[in-house]
Formats: sequence, structure tokens, C-alpha cells
Amino acid sequence: MSAITATEENATPRKGSGAPPVLLYRDVRKHFGAFIAVSGVSMEVRKGEVVCLIGPSGSGKSTLLRCTNGLELIDGGEIALDGELLPRNWEGMRRVRQRMGMVFQNFELFPHKTALGNVSIGPMTVLRLSRAEAEQRAKAMLDKVGLADKIASYPAQLSGGQQQRVAIARALAMEPEVMLFDEPTSALDPETIGEVLNVMKRLAEEGMTMIVVTHEMTFARHVGDWVVVMDRGAIIEQGPPEQIFDSPTVERTRDFLSHLGWSG
Amino acid sequence: MNFDWSVVWRNADVLVEGTELTILLAVTTMVIAIPGGILLALMRLSGVRALSSTSACFVELFRNLPLILVIYTAYYVLPVATGLSFSPITTAIVALSLNVSAYNGETFRAGIASIRQGQSEAAYALGMTRWQTTREIVLPQAVRRVLPVLASTWVSLFKDTSLVSVISVGELAYTSMRIRAQTYRVLEMLTAMAAIYWLLGYPQAKLVDWINRRYAVNE
Amino acid sequence: MDLDFSPVLDSWQYLLRGVGLTLALSFLTMLCSLVIGGAIGLARCYGPQSLRWPLVFYIDSMRSVPVLVVLVWTYFALPLITGVVLPPFWAALIALSAHIAAYVAEIVRAGVSSIRPGQTRAAFALGMSRAQTIRTIVLPQALVRMLPAFGSILSITIKDTAIAAVIAVPEYMNRSQTVAGQSFHPIEIFTVAMAVYFIILFPVTRVVDMVYVRLAYLGRS
Repeated sequence: MSAITATEENATPRKGSGAPPVLLYRDVRKHFGAFIAVSGVSMEVRKGEVVCLIGPSGSGKSTLLRCTNGLELIDGGEIALDGELLPRNWEGMRRVRQRMGMVFQNFELFPHKTALGNVSIGPMTVLRLSRAEAEQRAKAMLDKVGLADKIASYPAQLSGGQQQRVAIARALAMEPEVMLFDEPTSALDPETIGEVLNVMKRLAEEGMTMIVVTHEMTFARHVGDWVVVMDRGAIIEQGPPEQIFDSPTVERTRDFLSHLGWSG
Repeated sequence: MNFDWSVVWRNADVLVEGTELTILLAVTTMVIAIPGGILLALMRLSGVRALSSTSACFVELFRNLPLILVIYTAYYVLPVATGLSFSPITTAIVALSLNVSAYNGETFRAGIASIRQGQSEAAYALGMTRWQTTREIVLPQAVRRVLPVLASTWVSLFKDTSLVSVISVGELAYTSMRIRAQTYRVLEMLTAMAAIYWLLGYPQAKLVDWINRRYAVNE
Repeated sequence: MDLDFSPVLDSWQYLLRGVGLTLALSFLTMLCSLVIGGAIGLARCYGPQSLRWPLVFYIDSMRSVPVLVVLVWTYFALPLITGVVLPPFWAALIALSAHIAAYVAEIVRAGVSSIRPGQTRAAFALGMSRAQTIRTIVLPQALVRMLPAFGSILSITIKDTAIAAVIAVPEYMNRSQTVAGQSFHPIEIFTVAMAVYFIILFPVTRVVDMVYVRLAYLGRS
């Protein structure tokens, strides 16, 4: 585990330590033609942890996330979920995907379905629940994200923040073990970012294991349990938020944070 | 030069029959060519080389041939190739269906490809199979996109049914021209033929315009 | 099925002259349609209101009536009104041009309206006159955007010339029919015809696509 930095011994112990990690990445590599997107990433995600992936654009954060649920297949290394290696074939990955939920930067709600339809389609088609059961579950999830009154609305009738909350409900309806967030607030107006981050914060407090690719440093600092900094396909530093944000040990981390205007 | 327009009214029942056959040909062809087009599009977009090449070749072939030639060739080739005898109507439907399926294949392909990849990814992320994703997420959206184009294709098809008159199928054009030959009322019958097509086609063209306005896609 | 292509080879000059006529008719039709259709399209965009209704009526009528009907009417019926007998080629040219000009007019209208008003406003702000703006700013961009549609019109024109066979224009389709009828080898004749038309038509759209891809940036605003 060469990518874990030396300061880890001095910091507060990681959440969930002692138990085996939910997700284990060992020397993961991914390239697109000649472009190397992820070059030898090793890290762990523990149960109930909120891991925030931060770094400049093109650093491979989103690619790593997409490799986690098989939207991209890795070219080298291993990823293990609950101790089992992820399969390399589509059908095998499809089953694994049911255990992970993903929230996309531009929501990707299905425009021809209502909010209720969007949230219930996963349980109905994939988990084979009856329509009644699926819709009951969907209503509960929409209520959880604060949109009980919008079940009959179409995505076009909802604001960006509302759409993203529906997207979160859609992922939660599958009762995943891990939630993957790919820059969930990057496409939102500043006014609506808060409502989405609040939902994510509550999820974290309830103990959901989450990997969040984000530029929202305040969220990473206060809600994250573990922060991973990536640059040009590799992890340059990882540790608890206090270390990364208050006293980073790597020059490039300091540069990146100052570019974002982070003054601690 | 004296014109006798009553020849039109006297033969009205025959003209109506011809019109009915025109409509029947168009409807039957579209009923075959919509699933045909979807099939061709799915073949083209599948990752399987053999399927996508076959589909691409089929579509390119029929989009680059005059329909009247396809009709004639079908008329001569079908009986010889299959050993069965075909009525002119069946030959007409075969030729029209091949032609329109090819156009629909391209229409559906473009429509499906225009659905953002993120939509499929969101479906996969939920654990849906490729087929479930196509059926529940991609195709319903693609149908909305292709509706205006399909409407235009329908109008073209309706007009193209006139071409099967060359193999003696008794639709409107053939019927009109036969009455012309029998009665020597050239101007009257040909004008009546044009007028009837106009009466049927004009509202359809306007409907296509309305569909284009209503279903215009803005991302 | 045993095929005998010798009738094709025996009559190849006859058939080749037919191909020549197909190309000539297509080219002339395209030219006339572009001129007439272009004028109509521009008249719809920039002309007086009183012209709009008859022009729209003309365009919609041509969209509603099959090419075959226009061809047959022009060749057989029109002379009865005008008293002038038209040779088949000229009847076909008139009929096809009138029909296709309607589609060209629509393309021109759509292309010109797709140029954002901001472009004309910018030109006026520079002090350009309406005519200058249309000529130097709007039309060049619009023409680039219309290229793919024109390519498809050219393809349709060539295919429609085959229908002119029905009014005895001695183009390739008509001559293929003649040879097929005389030699009793329709399958071979028509198969060759399909190959010939494909070879003519396939490059047309490809070339237009290639040219468009290179020039598309000129029309993007």
C-alpha cells in the first residue's frame, strides 16, 4: 500500500478500521488509447466512510469512479468489493452494479418518466419488484430526499437541485452498499447546491459508504472522513481532511488548494 | 377543344377503389417498414461486425437506387429467385417495404444515436441489462425524436405508391390513366388524378409541418 | 438461374447514351431548380407579403403531388391547354424542375432563417445596408448550412429522372426497359441498371458530405 502517506500514523484512526474494507483498489490502471487516465492507484474505502476524491480536471477521479462500477473496464490492477474481485465481463459487472448506486454530474434522469417513474424503474426492472412495491419504495425514497410532493412531476418541470435529488433517490431505491457521486453539484446553480449537499450529508450521517468526486471543498472538509488527492492519474496524497486541508504535506496539493482559493 | 368533366363523376367509384388501394399499399408498407427500420438500426448499432455491415450495406443500397427500378427488378426477379408466383400487389409491397425500411433504418439509427450516452450509463448504473436499457430508456426517447422524420417519410411513401402503377397495380395513378386510355379524356382524367392526390396529400403535408413544430427537439 | 449478360454488352452504346441523357437531364433539372427554387425561397424570406400566400401554395402543392403525376400531366395534359406540343425531354425538364424547385425553396427558406438575428444586427450596427447584409453575411453562411440538403436533392433528382422513362424520355431507365423487352433478359438488364445507378448515386452524397465537413465551420455562428 505504497500510496498511503507517512502522516497516517499520527492522525486519528480511520473510521471502520479493523473491519475489512468495502472497496479495495490495488494498482489500478486505465488508459484510453495512448492517454493514461489512471496510473497505478491503490487505496481503500472503509464501511460507513465518506471518501472524497479531489484534484484538478483530468486527474482521473471520474475515471476511477467509473471503473468502480464497471462503466469502464480497468486495464490493470484489481478492484475488490467486500473482498471479492470485480468480474471483467459485462454480465458479471451488471450484478455488481446493483450493489452500488451512482449519481451523475448532469443528473441523467429519464425525461420520459416522472420522478416516481425514474425512482421505481430500477426496482421494477432489475430487482423484479411488483409495480406496487416498487412505487411504495420510490415514494419513501423521494420523501427521504424531500420531494414527496413532486412524485408526479417530469424532470423538465424540476429545478437542477430537485433533479439531482431525484437522481439520488433513484440510486438509493436499489438499496446499494456503496454510493458513488461523480461531481454531483458541478452542474448546479449556487442556490441549489446546498439542498443536494444537505441530502448527501444526511446520508453520510446515516452511515452510508460514499465515494464523492467533488470540487466542493467545504463539503470534503466537514463531511468527508478521508480525502484522496489525485493529479494526472495518480494519488499524490491521501489522509483525513484535517491533514489535507490544514497541513498538506505535498507541494502539488498546496498548489491545487490555493488555486481553488482555499484559505483553510 | 371541348372538355367533358363528367367523365370523372361517372368513374368516381373506380377512382375511389384506386384511392383505397393507394392507402392500403401505404399503410401495409409502413406497418412492415417501421419494425424493419428499427431492426436495421439495432443491427447497425450492435457491436457485431457482421450485423452492422449487413445493415449498412442494405441501407446504402436501397437509398441509392431509384424506386421505380427496384419495382421493375422485383417484378422480374422475385418469381425467378423464389420459384413462386407473385401478384403485382405483393411485388409492389415487397419493393416499397425494402425501400422504406432502408430509409427508416437510417432514421432510427440517427434517432437512437442522438440519445446521450449518459442516459444508457445511468440505466447500466442501476443494473439494467443492455436490452432493458434499449427497451425502457433509449427506444421510447428515440421514437419521439424520429416522429417528425417518419411523418415526412410517410408522405413520400404515399406519393411513391403511384410508381407501382408501372407494374399494373390498380392504385389511383393506374386507375386514372386506364380510364384516360379508355375514354380518351386526357386533360380531364389527368387533372382529376392530380387533384385527388392534391386533396389527399395537402392535409398530410400540413400535418407533417405541425408535427415538426410540436416535436421539435431542443436539448 | 442461368444469366446471360450478352444483351447488355450488345447494346452497350445504346444504353450508355441513355446514361448520358440521365446525367444531362439531372444536371439541367438541378440547375433550373436551384435558380427557380432559390428565387422563390428568397422571395419568401425577403419579398412582399402579398407574394407569400401563392408561393406557399405552390410549394405545398408540389409536396403533395407525386412526381409521376406532374410528369404525366405536363407531357400529356399541358399541351391540350397551351396548344404547344412538348418533346419528352423538355416536358420532363419542366415537370422535374417545377417539382424540385419547391423543395429547394424550402431548403433556402430554412437555411436563411437559421441565421441568428444577432448576425444581421451586428451587420447593421456596422452600417451595412439590408442588401449588403444579405449578400455578404447571411447568404454565405446559409449556403454552407444548406450543402447537405442540396446534396440530397441532387440524389433525389437523379432518381426522379428514372421516372421520366414513363413519358418516353430516352434516358437510361427507359432504354433498359427497351433492351429488356427485346432480349427477354430483364433480370440481367435491370441488375446492370441497378449497378449503374448505384455507382452514380453513391458518390454524390459521399462527396457532398466530404465537402460539407471541410466547410462546415464557415457556417457556424
